Amino acid sequence: MKLKQIIISILFAIFALTSVSQASSTEVPVVVEETSERKAYEPKSIGELATSFWETTGLKAIFDVNDGEMTSEPKGPAYEREMNWFESSLGRIIMIVIVFILFYLAIAKNFEPLLLIPIAFGGLLANIPLAGMGGEDGMLGIIYNMGIANEFFPLLIFMGVGAMTDFGPLLANPKTAILGGAAQFGIFGALVGAVIIGFDLQDASAISIIGGADGPTSIFIANRLAPDMLGAIAVAAYSYMALVPVIQPPIMRALTTKEERVIVMKTTRKVHRLEKLIFPIVVLMLALLILPESAPLIGAFAFGNFAKESGVVDRLSDTMQNSLINVVTIFLGLGVGSKLAADKFLVVETMGIMAIGLIAFSVGTASGVIMAKIMNKYSDEPINPLIGAAGVSAVPMSARVVSKVGSEEKPGNVLLMHAMGPNVAGVIGSAVAAGVLLSIFK
Amino acid sequence: MADEVNYVLEAFKFMLLGMGIVFLFLFILVKVVELQAKLIAKYFPEDTSKTPATPAGKIADDEQRKVAAIIAAVTEFRNNKS
Repeated sequence: MKLKQIIISILFAIFALTSVSQASSTEVPVVVEETSERKAYEPKSIGELATSFWETTGLKAIFDVNDGEMTSEPKGPAYEREMNWFESSLGRIIMIVIVFILFYLAIAKNFEPLLLIPIAFGGLLANIPLAGMGGEDGMLGIIYNMGIANEFFPLLIFMGVGAMTDFGPLLANPKTAILGGAAQFGIFGALVGAVIIGFDLQDASAISIIGGADGPTSIFIANRLAPDMLGAIAVAAYSYMALVPVIQPPIMRALTTKEERVIVMKTTRKVHRLEKLIFPIVVLMLALLILPESAPLIGAFAFGNFAKESGVVDRLSDTMQNSLINVVTIFLGLGVGSKLAADKFLVVETMGIMAIGLIAFSVGTASGVIMAKIMNKYSDEPINPLIGAAGVSAVPMSARVVSKVGSEEKPGNVLLMHAMGPNVAGVIGSAVAAGVLLSIFK
Repeated sequence: MADEVNYVLEAFKFMLLGMGIVFLFLFILVKVVELQAKLIAKYFPEDTSKTPATPAGKIADDEQRKVAAIIAAVTEFRNNKS
């Protein structure tokens, strides 16, 4: 036992030494450069000092633009380009106003404040002139490189969502999973739409995932297929997730009749603990057999859920669904917010992405509802078509919205549990759709 | 122009493939889950009857108390409101 410990500590020591020596060998030339650049101080008049200070203020950078300020890129100075007048002055002001609108929506209207506050604040920081917050060495740039550029944060979020998800309602009434599939028409409908308005197929695929109303998946796919548009796609996906309570109810009401909306569904059966335990493994096995391309997303999701349902690692599952997901949400929000810099966000594509995203989201909701109507016609058990709207994977917002609309129509009719089935199936469905799109462009 | 039409057609093909796979995946999932439910109900039926005997019985009791408390709170709130 002791011998083992000694060997391990020696290994650690060797590892630490080698890594330190590597690090120092790479750092040395940089240090030398810095010292050689340092100039001898020359005396300056107070006027010169004031002028040089004026040069570094944000006021000058915004209102008196003459020199080429560079954009800040997390990939490093090699990717920087000179900003034009619009990007460094008016664009920034517009973006700061947009950020304040996002703050308002988050705080006063309570639209997904957990996401909007970090994203909007990241956007505010990214629009500070001259600070280079989004650059390779800036705070936002570091966060971006740490977990967004390599798709790590979305997977951690998926893990947490997996640990939070209870598949009980889905297992109790498995047929409702098909509704979660139908809502993915939003994704592919948007794909067609995006191609029609002129995006190329790969960009269109990345945009269309917004229709799944799934932030982490959108970021994951955008990173693989269209990294340039990541910011706009992530912002669109998260804003539409936040707007679920605004966008979905009118569509739901338009497509259903009063009689359909008041349908009371049978209470769900009790689900055996073993079913819940085996379920994440079953999903993962299916992913493994049919679509290994979706393995990162479904794998993280299944892991989180398995840890929860195993019942023996409560500490781990508790960390995943609380501390870990909270930490990652802060970083993910700020990192995505860095893409709200005027030079990246205020481009023509953004308008197209926002428009397509809205269409995608609406089509997804609508096709879920229509599918539920069809199922209601042909099934022996009554199905309230409203639950189809929960097929988009915004968990658990859309299930809550469905429940709210349902109880408005008929007080006491609680659809929440029934809507959770399609809702969690929607998460799986959009991960599968994402896997299909990835497999096409492999 | 001909090119663009072609792309739209491609997009529709993506849709066909994508929705096909999504439905196939979920369909197999539904079937597997139904089968699994049947198998578990068949081979581990005593598990369900055993667990409620001691701990789950208590949980259910707790749950009922919680529900009662919530209902009481809601009625109280409504009464106050009106």
